[in-house]
Amino acid sequence: MRKILTALILFLSTLSAEINVAVTYPYLKEIVQKIGKDRVKVTVLGSAKYDPHFVLPKPSLIGRLSRADMLVINGGGLEAGWLPPLLKRASNPKIAPGSLGFVDVSRAIDMMDKEEATRAKGDVHPEGNPHFSLDPHNIVPIAKLIEERLMELDPANSESYEKNLKAFTKEWRDFLERFDEKMASCEGKKVVTYHKLYDYFLKRYKIESVGTIEPIPGISPSSKYLIELLNKMKKEGVRLILQDTYHEKRSAKFLATRSGAKVVVLPHDIGAVKEADSLEKLFENYAERLCR
Amino acid sequence: MKKSIKGVLLCTVAVYAQSDIDNLETKLKEQQIVIDKMQREIEKIKKSDNLSSSLSQKEFLPDISFIINSSALYRDVKNSDYYNYYIPGFFNAGDAEIPFNKERGFNLNYVETSLFSTVGPYFDASVYFHIKPDAFEIGEAYVTTRALPNSLRIKAGKFKSDFGRINSKHHHSWNFDTVPLVYDAMLGIEGLNEPGIQLQWIAPTDDYLMTGIEALQGNNERSFGYTEQNSLYVGYVKAGCDISDTTALFGASVAYGKNGADGKTTLYGLELTTNSYLDAYSSITWQNELLYREYEEGAETVKQSGFYSEVVYKASREYAFGLRYGALFKNRDIGPDDLDRVTVMAEYKPFEMSRLRLEFSHDRSKIIDGTRESINEVILSLNIAAGVHPAHEF
Repeated sequence: MRKILTALILFLSTLSAEINVAVTYPYLKEIVQKIGKDRVKVTVLGSAKYDPHFVLPKPSLIGRLSRADMLVINGGGLEAGWLPPLLKRASNPKIAPGSLGFVDVSRAIDMMDKEEATRAKGDVHPEGNPHFSLDPHNIVPIAKLIEERLMELDPANSESYEKNLKAFTKEWRDFLERFDEKMASCEGKKVVTYHKLYDYFLKRYKIESVGTIEPIPGISPSSKYLIELLNKMKKEGVRLILQDTYHEKRSAKFLATRSGAKVVVLPHDIGAVKEADSLEKLFENYAERLCR
Repeated sequence: MKKSIKGVLLCTVAVYAQSDIDNLETKLKEQQIVIDKMQREIEKIKKSDNLSSSLSQKEFLPDISFIINSSALYRDVKNSDYYNYYIPGFFNAGDAEIPFNKERGFNLNYVETSLFSTVGPYFDASVYFHIKPDAFEIGEAYVTTRALPNSLRIKAGKFKSDFGRINSKHHHSWNFDTVPLVYDAMLGIEGLNEPGIQLQWIAPTDDYLMTGIEALQGNNERSFGYTEQNSLYVGYVKAGCDISDTTALFGASVAYGKNGADGKTTLYGLELTTNSYLDAYSSITWQNELLYREYEEGAETVKQSGFYSEVVYKASREYAFGLRYGALFKNRDIGPDDLDRVTVMAEYKPFEMSRLRLEFSHDRSKIIDGTRESINEVILSLNIAAGVHPAHEF
């Protein structure tokens, strides 16, 4: 009798149980949904409205972490300022760092700018620049890692995850083909950015970053520094200033009026600007705004 | 003729090229030998390195951070008079606790060293040392469970109780450098920080709902302080919700235990905090707490209360400004009735981990040498956090 009961319970649980996935940023939600489809229920912890380094650790996030079966983070130190206390407080063994349900997607990427960490250089990440998701060529490796984990967590449905990954990979490669072509016209442009946010993207499409508006990561610029940057921009002939949605825009405007360059706002994640409501749209936005 | 000259020329070029290639090839071979030799050398070094690294335990070092808190202070009351202040109806002369910002002039308040480590699959351990110019204290030292089912967690050791809003927070993470008046009067500046055990549960909902119970030693002298055996029990419910860019946190707490005056004390706490984001780096926080206690002294039961309300406007990543008002209702015929304090502050953070704060307070709650003094105090504090990235809590 007991055996039948347990079998029944197991059967029922496989029928009804969606996998509760918490992700730290919106772009991860889309990837997880592409691979997990209706097998996953995804909740995003950090809104695209704000600086991804400084997500407000709202108490409601603790509840969501405490019942998650899987946690997908960007990694590379991007969540270090807000996630650890929430994770500790939730004390959920399924998503503890090192467990099967804890997925750090930075592991799928060879990160750039690995530096020896000293806080004298500001808010640096010794693991490397964590904004790798803005190179569209990094999306497939991330999806692959998520697929592998979903297969391990939920082996009963591994076939469908494999199928979904295949479909997504094809879809994304087709997109990349068109996208790379569009971006080719942008090669060799020179830009200035607020934070080292777009470096992966710029490197991929051979756009040269001449400098950053913040003198070192996490520090606001002084007027003296801005004048130096302005002179550099004039010397190098920089025509574009890339601004994210959350930092102050005064400095960029100042540089633009003095140098004649144009300020281009680029969303750092899905939902940071209205038009960027999917991964493809996010990058199409880049092509449109950069290569016009 | 021309043709044969051309042929000879071509031939010499070819021969010359041939000998050149041979030359390069021998050189390459020589280089290859050098490279191979170096490769073997590297392998050898790597092997010996492996031996030491396989015994190395660097990866298991705990997370370490330290905080230095110091201040420059002006107060319009002499030090020797100030040390003997009391709040009428709450505690007597000589019982004042002044663990930091004590002296007029310069204060090194404390160095807080914290260690955190995962102990195994089942426990995490946290330790906070407070090193002060004249004392070494274990601020907190506790273990928490990592893997209890159903969102349950147990904490055991010495820890700050989750009673109320500010009690569990360390001094350097408060919005002001001074403790709210009602805490000074009813729990002391260190609050409820005692050996004991705690059980908490988090509801599996999208909004935050947490409830917990604690059994503590009960050595807090302001409200409890029975010394014969453990005697303090604490319970609370906290709920939070998000409405667009505003987060609200409510809480109700109760602490029940024996006091040092042969009676029992019941302490109730109500809290409400809201935080509204204006843009990515600016926000307004509104934080309120009301404490009410029934303190048995022999046959008599004294009912007292107090509250504080504070607003902090974070203007940017660097600047924040705050205003706090606190008052006490002592409900006793000792001294004046209108006990209150106003505090304002402005802070500047050149970088996330360093903070300068200028605070002014006008305090009408204290009696010195039998008369009520209006005490004015200015504190310029410097707080730095070094080591492991200090993550922010709500």
